[in-house]
Amino acid sequence: MTNFQHRSLLQHIARFALYAVLLIMALLYLLPLVVMVLNSLKDVEEIRTGSLLALPQDPSFAAWSKAWGSACTGSTCEGIAPFFSNSFKIVVPAVIISTLLGALNGYVLSMWRFKGSELFFGFLLFGCFIPFQVILIPMAMTLGWLGLASSASGLILVHVIYGMAFTTLFFRNYYIGLPRELISAAKIDGAGFFLIFWRIVLPLSPPIIVVTVIWQFTQIWNDFLFGVVFSGVDNLPVTVALNNLVNTSFGGKEYNVDMAAALLAAMPTILVYIFAGKYFVRGLSAGAVKGA
Amino acid sequence: MAALTIENVRKSYGSTEVLKGIDIAIDKGEFLVLIGPSGCGKSTMMNSIAGLESVTDGRILIGGKDVTHANPKDRDIAMVFQSYALYPNMTVRGNISFGLEVRKMPKAEREIQVDKVAKLLQIEHLLERKPAQLSGGQRQRVAMGRALAREPKIYLFDEPLSNLDAKLRVEMRAEIKKLHQRLGTTIVYVTHDQVEAMTLADRIAVMQDGLLLQLATPQQIYDQPVNIFVAGFMGSPPMNFIKATLESESMLTIEMGDQKIQLPLAHNANFNAYLGKPVILGIRPEMITEPLEHKRSLACVKTLKLPTILTEAMGADTMVLAQFGNKELNCRVNPSYKIELGKECEFMFDMSKAVLFDPQTELLI
Amino acid sequence: MCIQSLDIHIRTFLNSDNTPNPQVTLVAKKRPLTDILADSLPKLVLAPSFLIVMVCIYGYIIWTVALSFTKSRMLPQWKFIGFEQYTKLFNNDRWDVATQNLIIFGGLFIIICLAIGISMAILLDQKIRQEGVLRTIYLYPMAISFIVTGTAWKWLLNPSIGIEKIVRDWGFSDFTFDWLVNSEMVVFCLVIAAVWQSSGFVMALFLAGLRGVDSEMIKAAQLDGASMPTVYRRIILPSLKPVFFSAFVILSHIAIKSFDLVTALTGGGPGYSSDLPANFMYSFAFTRSQMGLGAASGVVMLGGVLAILIPYLYSELRNKNAG
Repeated sequence: MTNFQHRSLLQHIARFALYAVLLIMALLYLLPLVVMVLNSLKDVEEIRTGSLLALPQDPSFAAWSKAWGSACTGSTCEGIAPFFSNSFKIVVPAVIISTLLGALNGYVLSMWRFKGSELFFGFLLFGCFIPFQVILIPMAMTLGWLGLASSASGLILVHVIYGMAFTTLFFRNYYIGLPRELISAAKIDGAGFFLIFWRIVLPLSPPIIVVTVIWQFTQIWNDFLFGVVFSGVDNLPVTVALNNLVNTSFGGKEYNVDMAAALLAAMPTILVYIFAGKYFVRGLSAGAVKGA
Repeated sequence: MAALTIENVRKSYGSTEVLKGIDIAIDKGEFLVLIGPSGCGKSTMMNSIAGLESVTDGRILIGGKDVTHANPKDRDIAMVFQSYALYPNMTVRGNISFGLEVRKMPKAEREIQVDKVAKLLQIEHLLERKPAQLSGGQRQRVAMGRALAREPKIYLFDEPLSNLDAKLRVEMRAEIKKLHQRLGTTIVYVTHDQVEAMTLADRIAVMQDGLLLQLATPQQIYDQPVNIFVAGFMGSPPMNFIKATLESESMLTIEMGDQKIQLPLAHNANFNAYLGKPVILGIRPEMITEPLEHKRSLACVKTLKLPTILTEAMGADTMVLAQFGNKELNCRVNPSYKIELGKECEFMFDMSKAVLFDPQTELLI
Repeated sequence: MCIQSLDIHIRTFLNSDNTPNPQVTLVAKKRPLTDILADSLPKLVLAPSFLIVMVCIYGYIIWTVALSFTKSRMLPQWKFIGFEQYTKLFNNDRWDVATQNLIIFGGLFIIICLAIGISMAILLDQKIRQEGVLRTIYLYPMAISFIVTGTAWKWLLNPSIGIEKIVRDWGFSDFTFDWLVNSEMVVFCLVIAAVWQSSGFVMALFLAGLRGVDSEMIKAAQLDGASMPTVYRRIILPSLKPVFFSAFVILSHIAIKSFDLVTALTGGGPGYSSDLPANFMYSFAFTRSQMGLGAASGVVMLGGVLAILIPYLYSELRNKNAG
């Protein structure tokens, strides 16, 4: 065997090992998802007596429909369907408003800087990092005064307020990359603040709008802390409902229903991720890593 | 009434003064070029004229109207940027008509104006394209079209040719000059390229460190530069500077080692104050040539033998670097003149256009 | 409507005998109100957000700090009692457990995520076929809520139906993996679930960083004779230092905020052996009506975040000024 062939064999082995490691890791990452899907299709007995990894003997969606429409989440037994719509009612306005605010703020901070605007940006950035535990109590009291305690509007307000810091960060970092001469040309052409935003900056924004919307949707949909503190019995988001469902067990634990419910709750964000995943990745690294 | 008056304009950023009192007045239809090294303040001056930056002191008048504190849109100016700054999401037509749209010109009129400008710049076939689909030269034309469509009082060009390759630059330079001759527009043009300045300008304003050094026609700046900096900045290859002593009204002596070389001078009354004193001689490369028979008998001509160091063949001429004492001189010779590197060659100094500078102030005598 | 201001210009000319001759002119500067309004527009647009940030972030922080110095229980009582709540806090066994857990959980979580993240990123950087598919698989856990993650791992880590049972069914009848119900080991269950969720993100960060390394630098090193491992060790990894820092800050932020995961995976149990500060705070502030104590715990959590953030920002600023 010549030296060349010997090296080639070594490279082959290395390559094989590489793929093996990557594959094993992939399986580990997929494990919980697979387990949940498999077991949501089984009946409770089969789960208890069989292995979590075993394929369902008689796959059925009974657990799914129960999770959706009739499972007990605390005091009511209507499944997680109503909470699904609660979440949507909260997420959609919150995403729209926080994205809009972020766009306008980012526009001002990047193209109409004035004395103190960078300092404000610093304050904003810092605010992205605080643990929310330190504002929960005052926020709860404020919502009480405003008459918005335990209401959907209150929760939307909270999400907008604390999402605004991130959305502003995203837009500002993006707009800073736009050529400033574009704004100068528009000013000379006679356009003012809002006209420039509407006709020139906004049409250049679709990439960052997509990123921000996906990020905000994911963050707000998956949120639990604000949901559990600020929402009322009538408008619990689906994360809170899921937790209640899983931790409520009248009689034996219905694992299959629990897993189906968890999958349903995770479905929207996973679908968003699958279909718009690359924008999601870009959003994570663009906002988080670039910092100030 | 001047088309543009810049009166004692000063601009400071915090404690740094970037413009130190600029005074310029240009007439309608004049082509003014602002030139200078990086950091001289020419771009700041341009932005101040446009209203994109405020001035700390002084006035700016356009067509007699004081616009010092007016917004860009109220100044009746248009600007062509170095990077063209075309709106990426609009078509060429949209780009050109945007300014008109903002000023609420009716659609029909806008269309006429856009078509007129497109025809002038030969970009009619590009009207429905977006900027990303255009070449550099085409984008440049669209940027000019955007400015032309508004028919402003003053056109501002901020280094518009810097992003083009050499050949395209020469073409576009001629285009701009032709447009100026045809339309008679008032233009302020910023560049760092002195060839552009010399070829395009009616008058050139040379700036350095926020000061206006000289405002004159290209030929005046070339022949009578106000100081050593201007003399060395304009003209490529640059003027040669040699330390000398003014022996008499019509003669210079230069020390070369232990020899004293004498060079004749054209008579100039200003030289009287410097008799016997050290001066700096400025002579351009094209005035140091191979011996020309028809010039030999002229009073202002002297032939010297100098060792040669380097030659650069330029095609039409050959540039030679010759040793003169402890200085190296740029000389321009005919390509057919035989040069032997390292050996001495004959060079003819035509001193008719030579200038003298004061060694301390560096000003023209 | 115009707003006028007067400006005095004094220009000094020289008389023929070189004496100064100052001339004073009054110049009226007219600026229409609409222009002034237009100039303030950026500030006006930013104003609501400015208000929100100042009140809802910094104002509330001050409010919580103030509350932590009071005797508040179910409702705020503005009777200042100094550092009593903090003393109570640091003497509280559950808080002790929570902070200990945070240090163990946070430390392991960050280190393991960084290790897995950089290793996977390097592996993925080797021109893998189907890299996109693999990346999607590694990253999808970030898309789901910590509640779902906690719930899923609760089953997998459950001794009677999860991994312990599976391995036993494979024949290893002595295999035990009951960490979830073992008060000494339950923290590590949190680590497992959290690492599963977040390591893909760290990998994505590092992969982006690796891809951003100047390829010419690598080529130069290879021409100089360096082997790939050396190139990685001496050139690529050092240039990823900023990514390490960013990842560290983000991961510590996630660790300190961890609330959902504990709630879903262990409920804080067994007992409160898997409690974390965030859960402690919620429990005492909202369910146990001890607002003052809850506020104090929140303030301490903020202190923890600042302890990491401020040195990071300081070093960032220093690098910016130096470089």
